[in-house]
Amino acid sequence: MMSLIDKLLERRARAAAQTASRRGMLKTLGGVLVGATAVPLLPVARAEDGAARPVEEGSDTDCDYWRYCAIDGFLCSCCGGSANTCPPGTEMSPVTWIGTCHNPADGRNYVISYNDCCGKSTCGACLCQRDEGDRPPYRPDKTNDINWCLGTSSATYHCSTAVVVGVAFEE
Amino acid sequence: MLPLRNNALGVNRLLVALSALLPCAAISNAFAGAQAEINEDRARYHYQMFCQGCHTPDGSGVNAVPPLKGMMGVFLRSQGGREFMVRVPGSATSKLDDMQLAEVLNWCIENFSSNSLVNGEYLPYTAEEVGKLRQSPLQEIDNTRAAVLAEIARLPE
Repeated sequence: MMSLIDKLLERRARAAAQTASRRGMLKTLGGVLVGATAVPLLPVARAEDGAARPVEEGSDTDCDYWRYCAIDGFLCSCCGGSANTCPPGTEMSPVTWIGTCHNPADGRNYVISYNDCCGKSTCGACLCQRDEGDRPPYRPDKTNDINWCLGTSSATYHCSTAVVVGVAFEE
Repeated sequence: MLPLRNNALGVNRLLVALSALLPCAAISNAFAGAQAEINEDRARYHYQMFCQGCHTPDGSGVNAVPPLKGMMGVFLRSQGGREFMVRVPGSATSKLDDMQLAEVLNWCIENFSSNSLVNGEYLPYTAEEVGKLRQSPLQEIDNTRAAVLAEIARLPE
């Protein structure tokens, strides 16, 4: 009986010695430690950051540019600013209206924030009125017919931006 | 024999690596599930589409737009405050359905309460509760808000 157990244990011990190296545990642990630190660098972890980054095609000084689908105003990109930023000397209104636009370059819908730039007289360049998804003023959060210079020190409208704030959720 | 053994070791290593990752995933899922059923992407999208334009991306508000940040938990301290957050026109008359409105309110509570929640806990809104409350939208918003906050200020600590 004892020799049977002895043989069995010996066979197990030899098998283990053949398959596992003495420093195997250290190697595996090291691999896990290094692997765990590398996980945040993998594309999986970064997917969320990249999610709101659309494929860009076309010129942001052009009224046909995809982000302007619901704009009604002067394009800041023609007024010394860009689709994301206000021209020098103006202040971006933190209060704004928000809609979605379809980006034909990557086939996705994005949430667009139409922040107005305020504090200087009307820019006058690149008037663009597309109004897709624009609603009457009784739906105030979805209308471009009001002056959105609401959270700024000056209520004087200068031009409009179209900032991508996220990807639209497909219901 | 040799390739098999290497393969077995490879699988083992993969399992070890996976098991190192799994506990984190399990903890974060359990935490979210314990509070309210929220589809993060949908809730954030609805916040962006129907709230953020005025309440700003981080819920701070600006000028006449009151902050959600640090306030959601304060309002939850009284029944009147709990009802207020549903009966304000931005909530009550939005085009979100009852389930979506309850979800976005719970999402706001979880993201903008800061330290204002009592013991860090809250009772999530349900579609049913929200559906009833939104049938009587507030007309006197500023006055109601002041009255609700005054009532909460009088509550014992």
